[in-house]
Amino acid sequence: MRVSMKWLRELVDVELPLEALVDLLDMTGTKVEAVHAIGATLEGVVVGLILTKKRHPDAETLWVTTVDVGGERPLTIVCGGQNFEAGDRVPVAVVGTTLPNGVTIKKAKLRGIVSEGMNCSATELGIGSDASGLFILPADAPVGVPFAQYHGMADTVLELEVTPNRPDCLSMIGVAREVGAVTGRIARVPSTSLTESGEAVEASVSVAIEDPSLCSRYTARLVRGVKVGPSPAWLAERVAATGTRPINNVVDVTNLVMFELGQPLHAFDAATLGLQSGKRAISVRLALPGETLTTLDGQERALAADTLVISDQSGAVALAGVMGGAATEVTGSTVDVLLESACFDPASTGRTSRRLALISEASMRFERGVDANGCVDVLDRAASLLVEVAGGTVAPGVIDEYPRPAVPAVVPLRISRLNALLGTELDRARVAGILERLGLQVDGPADELTVTVPTFRPDLGREVDLIEEVVRVHGMGLVPSTLPAGRGRVGGLTEDQERRERAGAALRGAGLNEAITWSFADPTDAERIGWVFGPDERPVRLLNPMSGDQSLLRFSTLPGLIRAVADNRRKGVADVHLYEMGSVWWTAPGRKQPKERAVVAGVLAGSWNRTGWNDPGVALDLSDMKGVVESLVEELGIARFRLRAADLPHLQPGRSAEVLIGGDVVGWLGEVHPSVLASYGCAGGPVAAFELQLKPLLKAARDVRPFTDLPRFPGVKMDLAIVVPDGVPAERVEQAVRSAGGKLLDEVRLFDAYRGEGVAPGHTSLAFALVYRHPDHTLTDEEVTALHEKVVRKATSAVGGQLRG
Amino acid sequence: MALIDELQELRTTGLESIAASDDLAGLEAVRVALLGKKGSLTGVLRGLGALAADERPAAGKVSNEVRQALEEALADREAVFSASALERRLTAEAVDVTLPGRRRAPGRQHLIEKVTREISDIFIGLGYRIAEGPEVELDYYNFTALNTPPDHPARNASDTFYVEDLSGDAATVAGESDVLLRTQTSPVQVRVMENSTPPIYILAPGKVYRRDVADPSHLPQFTQIEGLVVDEGITFGDLKGTLEHFAHEMFGPDRAVRLRPHFFPFTEPSAEVDVSCHLCNGAGCRMCKGSGWLEVLGCGMVDPNVFGYVGIDPERYSGFAFGMGAERIAALKYGVPDLRHFIESDMRFLRQF
Repeated sequence: MRVSMKWLRELVDVELPLEALVDLLDMTGTKVEAVHAIGATLEGVVVGLILTKKRHPDAETLWVTTVDVGGERPLTIVCGGQNFEAGDRVPVAVVGTTLPNGVTIKKAKLRGIVSEGMNCSATELGIGSDASGLFILPADAPVGVPFAQYHGMADTVLELEVTPNRPDCLSMIGVAREVGAVTGRIARVPSTSLTESGEAVEASVSVAIEDPSLCSRYTARLVRGVKVGPSPAWLAERVAATGTRPINNVVDVTNLVMFELGQPLHAFDAATLGLQSGKRAISVRLALPGETLTTLDGQERALAADTLVISDQSGAVALAGVMGGAATEVTGSTVDVLLESACFDPASTGRTSRRLALISEASMRFERGVDANGCVDVLDRAASLLVEVAGGTVAPGVIDEYPRPAVPAVVPLRISRLNALLGTELDRARVAGILERLGLQVDGPADELTVTVPTFRPDLGREVDLIEEVVRVHGMGLVPSTLPAGRGRVGGLTEDQERRERAGAALRGAGLNEAITWSFADPTDAERIGWVFGPDERPVRLLNPMSGDQSLLRFSTLPGLIRAVADNRRKGVADVHLYEMGSVWWTAPGRKQPKERAVVAGVLAGSWNRTGWNDPGVALDLSDMKGVVESLVEELGIARFRLRAADLPHLQPGRSAEVLIGGDVVGWLGEVHPSVLASYGCAGGPVAAFELQLKPLLKAARDVRPFTDLPRFPGVKMDLAIVVPDGVPAERVEQAVRSAGGKLLDEVRLFDAYRGEGVAPGHTSLAFALVYRHPDHTLTDEEVTALHEKVVRKATSAVGGQLRG
Repeated sequence: MALIDELQELRTTGLESIAASDDLAGLEAVRVALLGKKGSLTGVLRGLGALAADERPAAGKVSNEVRQALEEALADREAVFSASALERRLTAEAVDVTLPGRRRAPGRQHLIEKVTREISDIFIGLGYRIAEGPEVELDYYNFTALNTPPDHPARNASDTFYVEDLSGDAATVAGESDVLLRTQTSPVQVRVMENSTPPIYILAPGKVYRRDVADPSHLPQFTQIEGLVVDEGITFGDLKGTLEHFAHEMFGPDRAVRLRPHFFPFTEPSAEVDVSCHLCNGAGCRMCKGSGWLEVLGCGMVDPNVFGYVGIDPERYSGFAFGMGAERIAALKYGVPDLRHFIESDMRFLRQF
């Protein structure tokens, strides 16, 4: 809402300096988003006196003028206007001036004659709609004075952010009332004097409302014999100050009154409305099937069934509350104007304007709610102004269909409740004073007020609404600050939240940086990574995505993480170490809400460090990723964790595994399939990744790990290398060794996995460092030898391997 | 007497050889030559048995003296050699300490998570617990139960993401579906109020979604942190005091805080909270667009209608709620000029915080 200070001052006394007023509005809930100085844009436009006027030698329609603008010498200005004579005073834009329409005046040759400025029309100055000729000023206009100053244009416009609960503040009078309430002044409602003559309106117009739930009131006045034309400057200027383009005197009056009183009006060319029994018969009804309407902007619009329209018997003539129709528009030839002031249902107006993407000043006001009880005052105001600027006579009487009168709300307010909710100690006098300044009527005994709320404040229907009004105007800053005193509460994280924090810390400790990627997915992602959904499962589709490549919810974090690697690589960052904790989704027929699953995932590319003086920069692979997950699992105290080779479509065969916790598959780990990387344009070497379900991980976690006694006797170290054929996993060999060694085999550590010379082709030598230890005594050589021989024998036979010689 | 002379002679030549040795190996050779099983002293002492009994004590004494002298000289000489060997090793092993260290840098927490954690800790300190809920929500929890009118613009398909509903239910609001990506974490509050009884002190951080084009100040996916308190005797003053405490913890103890009345469907009275700009100290700068204030959150007293939806008696209990965007808080506090950094996973950004 744009508020002209000049206009506001006509409606309420404003004694505060501008800055203080802005602060006060901010602090009472009407935020001032911007303050514009207008008139300043006309810098360089001065009052000029036309000294001479001669026909341009080479152009029939141009004049060559000399103009005194108060400078050392007159300016020569070539001019296309026809409506002036030497001796006239006009606004002159000197060289260097930028006009409101963006044109900058330059010294330029026009058909061979240098023009040193421009004599302006009202349109060029942005103050009116009359472009037919120069804006001729009164004979006493002082030459050389800035035009804006002379014309009284300098004004300050406040741009207010009006919250949706305050439709009253979408009008100058509402803002004036609000300013009055917070500064202790009373707003002045503009007075209207109306002279009616001629045949009564009822003789010429009839109105029927079909559905009172969508239109609670419809009022109309007829003004006969108007002369449509450009608005006088004061009207055009005022309309322009609201940010609206002046059009003609009739339309400008309706706009002025809308901005002034908050009630949108529509003006029909009465002659274009169909006659029924000799009357212009209007009905307010829902659109008929297949009905269309060409609106003021020239577009033909198909009307949905729940569109409320104004119609005559030939069909819809306007979209109620949203936009008028082209066929009934006021034009230069209009003689009789039918003014409509009505109250349409906010929800219905909102739906229509959104569906047709027509958000107008009118629809915005109807959507928030207008005061049905103001309709006739508004009509009177508009009719009287119309006669003033466009002539004509007002037909006696008002058409007023008001099937559902708005009744002022009566709301009880307990002072004790107010203070209990606010934490204040306000007395009745303070509370009543605030409410009364807002235009509310206060009655009732000391603690229990009965507050009558005028219908222009539809937001005040409950006790709590009044409490808000009081604290808002009283000043939130004056409420004493306290902390809740409630007893018996302890803050903290749940067990799962705590474990998730630990998981994150473990991943960071292992070198991964936390990332947040999009929850959205591309429909091609599933195919690109070869994702296999369960039977009946399918990805979650957005009905209104921002773009096609973000039209699903992600079912895996992998595509997002691959994109992150690819993006980093494109920017020259080769070493990428990321993890993410977030949700993935899928759905199935019959499901309303999709299944939402929390996962933890990670990705490694490049090396830990760039090759350095002390670091060879070894390329990261599956083994590093597994090490990260091992750190995670260890931090969570999860005992039963293992990988199992598995061919997963998104991973490179042979470098692809399922992750098992306690025997259950909870995710996968491996190196991303080269063709998957290629499909994401992620060139630059292998990418290792994992994704685990968070829930089983957190469930398997242990927070307290019991103490194990430290060994008191020395252990005996022995090495063991077993050659096994391909296909025997190291994990199995280690298990065989452990089970052969029993309790006395204290440590088993794989320290080498060797293929090559000395080992038969198709075989690997797995070398383990073993420590034998007895809890109660130092093992003798004989004991160790016997034990080790047993381990060798049993382990080799268990895995079909051989002791390496 | 000849034996004693021989011993004395051996001492002299032995000491000379020891002094003449120039490394540990040479010294070891001298030691073996003098004191070894086949060494000179052993050789001389073999003549001891041939001496007359009365001469033996004197000769024995001298031989011990000679052995002791030689052993001492060897030890001294060895000490000299090992000291210089250590010296050489240390010299050889010296490094340039200004060379970079060898490390695997620990990873970093995402700034949004870090800020979320920071804010959570402030409220945990005030006795709050952290509540969570689904990101794909029902219209009822995201809007209806929060007192949002059926035709509220926030419900528009232009503002809120809707997802396919495969249940076969007819949508309860305009459109094809009443399943949506939550636009706020308030549905978590509704669920908590439905499932528990006051006192309730919770903080609900989480991802939310709105149909905004990603630009420096908007993301269609961002992080909201909302708080809810429901208890007996909760006042607007409690809300104010709580948020002032938060602002001072988060932005510094000397920051001014103000509540500006505002409108939200789910709170009444409602306010926006401004904190004095930490860059210009309230004087007005580019960061605060000249106003001296930074808008950091929205808040208010829980609207009785909301209590009505979850079955809490508004005459007995009152409460407050507040909400803020983690991205905005992070951007303000850390001076990040473009929110898109938060979602782009650029290692150079992630490693900064």
